[in-house]
Amino acid sequence: MTLRSQLGAWAARVALVIMVLAAGAHAQVLNSGASPIALQAVLNDSITVTLSTNAVNFNLTAGSANNPGSTSITATTTWLLRPNVGNLNLYAYFSSSASALTDGAGNNIPSADFQISNNGGAFTALTNTVPFGGANAGLRLSSTRILGNNRAGTRNDVMNFNINLAPLPNLPAGTYTGTLTIQAQAI
Amino acid sequence: MKTGTLLRTAVVMLAVTFAASLASAQALNSGAQPIALNATLAESLTLSLSANAVNFTLSAGSAANPGSTNITATTAWTLKPGRTAVGVYAYFANAAAALTDGAGNNIPSSAFFISDNGGASTALTNTVAFGGPNGGLQLANVAITGANKSSSRTDVMAFNINLTGGTLPQLPAATYTGTLNIQAQATP
Repeated sequence: MTLRSQLGAWAARVALVIMVLAAGAHAQVLNSGASPIALQAVLNDSITVTLSTNAVNFNLTAGSANNPGSTSITATTTWLLRPNVGNLNLYAYFSSSASALTDGAGNNIPSADFQISNNGGAFTALTNTVPFGGANAGLRLSSTRILGNNRAGTRNDVMNFNINLAPLPNLPAGTYTGTLTIQAQAI
Repeated sequence: MKTGTLLRTAVVMLAVTFAASLASAQALNSGAQPIALNATLAESLTLSLSANAVNFTLSAGSAANPGSTNITATTAWTLKPGRTAVGVYAYFANAAAALTDGAGNNIPSSAFFISDNGGASTALTNTVAFGGPNGGLQLANVAITGANKSSSRTDVMAFNINLTGGTLPQLPAATYTGTLNIQAQATP
């Protein structure tokens, strides 16, 4: 190989190195500063109770233990709860145990003679003190244990009603009205 | 010094834990859903009889012609407040012809007697809430109080026809028929 050709090869290598270095300089990215966006998503806890209907009628027979309501009512409870909730309870209650229903003239049907059968269970009088309503005027219809797999859920409670007039044999004829309230509580 | 710092830290952590436990004990309630209740106890007054027929074998001119059977009237009621009395009455439509042979010969209500629940035998000569004038008898009067607005009673009636009065000793032989009614009334 001549001196001239050796110089040519050397020049070619130098040129190649320059080209590679130049290409490396072009691949270096330019970044801006990071701009943060604060995100907050709130999933509120909630409980709702809806009723299939809001009225029940009774045709009473004096002194009879069996005076069924005209219809059953389904309470649908839907919930979305925080992890620290242990139980979801559904209650039925009156504001006063002494006068669950009244004729407005001093004659009353107490809550002790008003009975609910929940989901086909035994008829039970409203004689307990619950978180809502008057003393001795309530009944816990159901209690649902909240676990990791049912923090969001729903349940139905089918209520049948009865008024027991056996303890009230002298109740005068009349129209007796009242308000039964259904409410749920998570705790 | 280090022990004091650890103690303070522990106290603070305990307080935070306590506050957190209080927060978790706070109940979450649904809305209250009302159900309107309407219960009707209708006013009623019923009267039923143990039997509906009585026969008499009459002896001319005799004061004692008892009926073939007693009849029990059962009166049951459920009343509204304000009612003060329940009366039970026996009556004929016509005092002059309580029983008749259909040929103009009659036994008047004044010759027809009822003994109620073993009491004295009494003729039907009063004007009562039902029936003809002077053709009735009040068998019972029940005062209604708060204790018996829904209740019942029974009246056991024994019957007799007295053929001694007026022209009745001359009553011709025949079959005499009539209808005695028993009825109750709540007042006012």
